[in-house]
Amino acid sequence: MARHSFWSGLVVIVIALLALNWIIPGYAGSNPFAQIPPDLVPRLASWLMLICGLCIVTGAVYDMVRQRIPLFNSNIDWPALAWASWPFAYVALATWVLVYVKITYVGPLIIALLLYLLGERRWYILVGCSIVPVAMLYVLSVYMMRVGVV
Amino acid sequence: MDFSIVGSAIGEALTLDSFIGIGGGVLLGYIIGVIPGLSRSVAIAIAIPLTFYMSPYIAISFLIGLSKGTAAGSAVSAILLNAPGEASSAATCLDGYPMAKNGRPKTALKIGLLASVLGDILATIILIFVAIPFARVALLFGPYEMAAILAFALVFIAGLSSGSLFKGLAACGLGILLGTVGLDSQTGMPRMTFGYTELMDGFPLIAVAIGTLALSEMFLQAERLRTERHNMSVKINDNPDDRLSWPEFRRTIPTIMRGTGVGTFVGALPGLGPSVASFMSYGMAKRASKTPERFGKGAPEGIAASESADNAVIPAALIPLFGLGIPGNVSAALLVGAFAIHGITVGPLLLREQPELLYSIFAGMIVASILMLILGWFGLKLFAQITRVPPHVVIPIVIFFCIAGMLLQGYGGFGLIILLAFAVLGYLMKKFDYSFVTFLVAFIITPMLELNLRQSIILSRGDPMILLERPIAVFFIVCTILALIALAVRTVKVRKPVAEAPAD
Amino acid sequence: MKKTLIAAAAVTLAFGTLVSTSAHADEWPTRPLTMVIGFNPGGSTDIQGRVLANVMEEYLGQPVNVVNQPGAGSAVAFTRLANNRDQGYTFLFGGTTALTFTPIISDVAYEIDDFEYLAAVAIGQNAIVTSSEQPFNSFDEIIEYGKENPMTYAQQTALDEAIIRAIAEEEGLDLAIVPTGGGGGMAPLVLGKEVDFAYSGGTHAQYTPGGEMIVAAFMSAERSPFYPDVPTLMELGYDYSIEDYRTIIVPNGIPDEAKDRLIAAAEYASTHEQFIRTTEGNTFFPVVFIPQQEMESSVRRIRAATEEVMGD
Repeated sequence: MARHSFWSGLVVIVIALLALNWIIPGYAGSNPFAQIPPDLVPRLASWLMLICGLCIVTGAVYDMVRQRIPLFNSNIDWPALAWASWPFAYVALATWVLVYVKITYVGPLIIALLLYLLGERRWYILVGCSIVPVAMLYVLSVYMMRVGVV
Repeated sequence: MDFSIVGSAIGEALTLDSFIGIGGGVLLGYIIGVIPGLSRSVAIAIAIPLTFYMSPYIAISFLIGLSKGTAAGSAVSAILLNAPGEASSAATCLDGYPMAKNGRPKTALKIGLLASVLGDILATIILIFVAIPFARVALLFGPYEMAAILAFALVFIAGLSSGSLFKGLAACGLGILLGTVGLDSQTGMPRMTFGYTELMDGFPLIAVAIGTLALSEMFLQAERLRTERHNMSVKINDNPDDRLSWPEFRRTIPTIMRGTGVGTFVGALPGLGPSVASFMSYGMAKRASKTPERFGKGAPEGIAASESADNAVIPAALIPLFGLGIPGNVSAALLVGAFAIHGITVGPLLLREQPELLYSIFAGMIVASILMLILGWFGLKLFAQITRVPPHVVIPIVIFFCIAGMLLQGYGGFGLIILLAFAVLGYLMKKFDYSFVTFLVAFIITPMLELNLRQSIILSRGDPMILLERPIAVFFIVCTILALIALAVRTVKVRKPVAEAPAD
Repeated sequence: MKKTLIAAAAVTLAFGTLVSTSAHADEWPTRPLTMVIGFNPGGSTDIQGRVLANVMEEYLGQPVNVVNQPGAGSAVAFTRLANNRDQGYTFLFGGTTALTFTPIISDVAYEIDDFEYLAAVAIGQNAIVTSSEQPFNSFDEIIEYGKENPMTYAQQTALDEAIIRAIAEEEGLDLAIVPTGGGGGMAPLVLGKEVDFAYSGGTHAQYTPGGEMIVAAFMSAERSPFYPDVPTLMELGYDYSIEDYRTIIVPNGIPDEAKDRLIAAAEYASTHEQFIRTTEGNTFFPVVFIPQQEMESSVRRIRAATEEVMGD
């Protein structure tokens, strides 16, 4: 738990520093006449994140020193990590495909392949679960919302 | 109150269209609620695109019916699977599952359903009688009051977030930071949009909501599939003992009343949410009981306490929404988005501009409760079957609807990328215990708060003395300061238990 | 009332798709068209656009699907349209402000010459409104009152703010200008008398029939037929106007045949009873038909005038 807090707190600090030193000065704009200039609220939020991040990291370091937890986990469960990350890769790939092909055409494939990867092997489930939602989407988009095939 | 408007509003709620809309919402909500892991906000986030072509009244009633359905449906999986459909029904597991194991699953389901429906109807009636006078008062609120109340809500929600306080506040900060993206309301100049025209109106709420709520939850569930594959649903047999008798139900009525009260109170406060309500109600029922030792072993009162409070939260959370236009929790925040899609600004002005719409929604909510009772009662066995649908079948379909919902919005590939980015963010926040609820509410409240603050400062011409004429604003400013002090005190105190928490 | 109409429109739309006529099989268009709307469903542009799509479909004999691409006052939709190569099968319906005004203040990836302006079918409404409970009820009275007292004004765009700021300077008013979150945010400020007067781009249609809000002046070039007694700023002697036309817009380089058919469909719609009833009756926008030549020059003239105002 403490190690989790340490690393995530570090990420919070990095985001806050990025925002304060690069994003806000470069992209938030300014308005010298306004009582609340455009960059005030983002700045306050970043400072809040920075302070909280520092508190999280400090607390985590304190806990880790007391409980003698090493900074790095020596035995990371790589298979578990791989299993946790492949769905993200799958959706990212689907996103890339969907930029070029409409979801009504490739939707059944996207669902069926994911079902198969998750361990479903019964053909009627594969077919049913992939066709029915896409058919529902088709009726919704073409006949009810009139936006055409999406 | 103009009774002809009320009459026509009720008339509208009783048309076939509205029955189909609300009934569809309740049914869909029930099904989604039964499936473990699909929560209320997930259901609303995915269903918002469905409402695009509906009339505003049907759309809103559909969504409210949906959230009511999920609350009732989540009890089914809590009782039969010992896995709550969503966190708010976790307290139902404590007595529901033992009761089902003891061979009385139908009785447990019926007590849960009746408690849900009763809690729901009573809270809806309270909503109607509180929201309207409340909105009348709130009509007098200007930017000063709104800014003060929004600031209070923000601090209150950040302070109540579950888990570590600093993590909650960090999530709040990130929500504020991302909430400021878009055109600056005063100069009309883009702010942190990095030149993307698509970001000029800020990150689209639907993308943020579907990403952090629904899609990230699917990734978590897919991850869990590696270790847990099979579910053990209690079968419903035709056991002669398994019938709910009137005396047995009568004994739970005081508990239901108490649960409704707790649920309404907790729901009306911003940020607390249904899980707090159901556990609080469960604890109170146990303390008030003459036989507390029966709790946890299948006491009907345990189910009734948790379910009535869980359902009472939904109408109660609409009190600040209709009264002030401030969302008290994530589902209410999504409703704000749904209203906006239909061109309606939710808040006290709704009572003045479109009273018939408001009354229709209230009537529709009562209809939803009744339909929930009918569907739940007669569909008992059917819904019990849904608990057998394995998660690995649910996940691909929900992911598909998340993506399709985003595409229906017309944001194209850019919307999908934002959706995925927020899904990753939501996944990491859930994994590392950063309150994504605080994040979302801060994200939604920030633009309103900033605008009202600006208006207040400009209108007062920088003169704080104007607050002397604004007692309500002063009251909420004092409340905000008190909440901040309470937060600081808690921070100092909370440090110790965290330090003694066991290592992972 | 409004609700029932929208519901009725939704039902008609749903059935419209099922009953597609095939009268002009050999003429353009030969496949379904897409109408892009740069706002969310439910706003005035969306309500008008959906009825317009329905009527155009009747004329063209192919389904006209409606796609909402909201964001930044249509700038998102225009950015996509500029890169569209759909040969006229995709067109945009909406106001021209995103072309005559938005490019001046922000960095957008399109320009006025990227599009053709086929026909305008309704005139946008730009009003200065105030509450009926205020001690003034015309623009002159506002100015008179403002010479004695400090005043507040609620803006919605940088353009109306610039105009009002200029007028306030000319007249020597002590004016504080507050931002609002659009029409929905403006109404409570005006009705609650938090501000003295405000800009409205159509929201006033909901409040003037009940007498809670009054229109003090129009920023448009001409008076509105629905408020015949309300003068324009030009008539009052201020040389400013905001002009906005609800126009059918296509990207450059589409075939002439497609253009001609779309223009003809727009002309047909501008005389169609259903479109007039929705546009004039529900949203208080006067229906017109302004042909392409006039629109092309209007858009450029408005842009030049706007640049002048914003340059101050």
